[in-house]
Amino acid sequence: MVTSIVDIKGLTKHYKKFSLGPIDFEVETGTAVALVGTNGSGKSTFFRLIMNLLQSDGGSINIFDQDLTEKETEIKKSVGYVGDLLEPFSYLTVKELSSLISYWYPSWDDKRYTQLIERYHIDEGQKYGKCSKGTKKKVEFIFALCHKPMLLLLDEPSAGVDIISQRKMKEDLLNYMEDGKRSIVLATHNIDEVKQLCDYITILEEGKIIHSFEKDELHEKWARLWVSHVSEVLNNHSNVIKVEESPLQLVTDDLPVIEKELEKEGITIKHINRLSLEEVIEHMIGQG
Amino acid sequence: MKLPIRVSEESREPIYHQIETQVKALIVGGHLPPGTPLPSIRALASELTCSVITTRRAYQNLESSGYIKTVQGKGTFVREIETLQKEEAKQKVVYDAFQKAIEQGKQVGCSKGDLLTIFNEVIKRNFDN
Repeated sequence: MVTSIVDIKGLTKHYKKFSLGPIDFEVETGTAVALVGTNGSGKSTFFRLIMNLLQSDGGSINIFDQDLTEKETEIKKSVGYVGDLLEPFSYLTVKELSSLISYWYPSWDDKRYTQLIERYHIDEGQKYGKCSKGTKKKVEFIFALCHKPMLLLLDEPSAGVDIISQRKMKEDLLNYMEDGKRSIVLATHNIDEVKQLCDYITILEEGKIIHSFEKDELHEKWARLWVSHVSEVLNNHSNVIKVEESPLQLVTDDLPVIEKELEKEGITIKHINRLSLEEVIEHMIGQG
Repeated sequence: MKLPIRVSEESREPIYHQIETQVKALIVGGHLPPGTPLPSIRALASELTCSVITTRRAYQNLESSGYIKTVQGKGTFVREIETLQKEEAKQKVVYDAFQKAIEQGKQVGCSKGDLLTIFNEVIKRNFDN
């Protein structure tokens, strides 16, 4: 029952100093994908293209099996987005914003809205422009959830948000995914969010997807091995990412392959350790 | 509904298998009596910081070997398992644990004699007061 909720092919966008793509990207129904990359790698541009806030230069975007350019309004009714979209409405209060936004969503749940406003201690009378960075994120997050979307596109939803609210957001996102039909694309610099919420990880670097994988694959493939010695073959092996001295050790992105190779070369493994997610991401971005 | 399960970073075992073995151990050990609700695949994935692909696979395997059952819309529960099957499973759990301990011993360079000495010491410490 593997179906895609998002299917993007050959998406490109060119600027004078920056090019995004071509990007192929898929989101499986009921899963969360983490979008990871250094600042300026193109994550926000990517989101803006998916939301059709930016015009792409090529490629196709299909959401819920429908073409974005043909069925934009239809699609957006079931998409929740957090990504500094409300800045032009700074002069409105949170309450005024909510009536503006709820108008566009037939599935808007007012009870849920009130509940979330209380849960995150939001002052509805405050002008959006006067809210702190974290409060703005919380307000956007609440708006994104209230129309019960099938897909959430979250561009750093917890940036600047206090730790207690971050915890609540995590809880709300887990509950959101509980029925197994709703999906999330989450751009974040918070490794705990990747660990606790996401199933797949996509790494974006300089406008290109350099890696895309299921999170737990790392456990089986990436490892650090302490070895008796290293041969020429291994030093140049494409699955050996790094060799370090004292004590002699190597990092691999394909343990089963390297184990066989070591056996062939008569090299003994003294110890094997798994790599943490942080380490793997660092190596991937370093390579790319 | 938190389960006392841990995924080991060190272990060679795939994560879904670690989950499977530990849930089995909790069931046959009587810590999770029949009817006990289990966390959803999403909640368990978050708890263990793995993916739902992994937790789903573990639950599917546990379901097909008769340890748990999923009721549409209600959740996943521990099933009643036959006493004999329980005994067999108990032995299997212990067997697997020994197997793992010995593998780890070999990895750090223990000989058969070393391992036997350690084994006897541990037995002694646990059974002779």
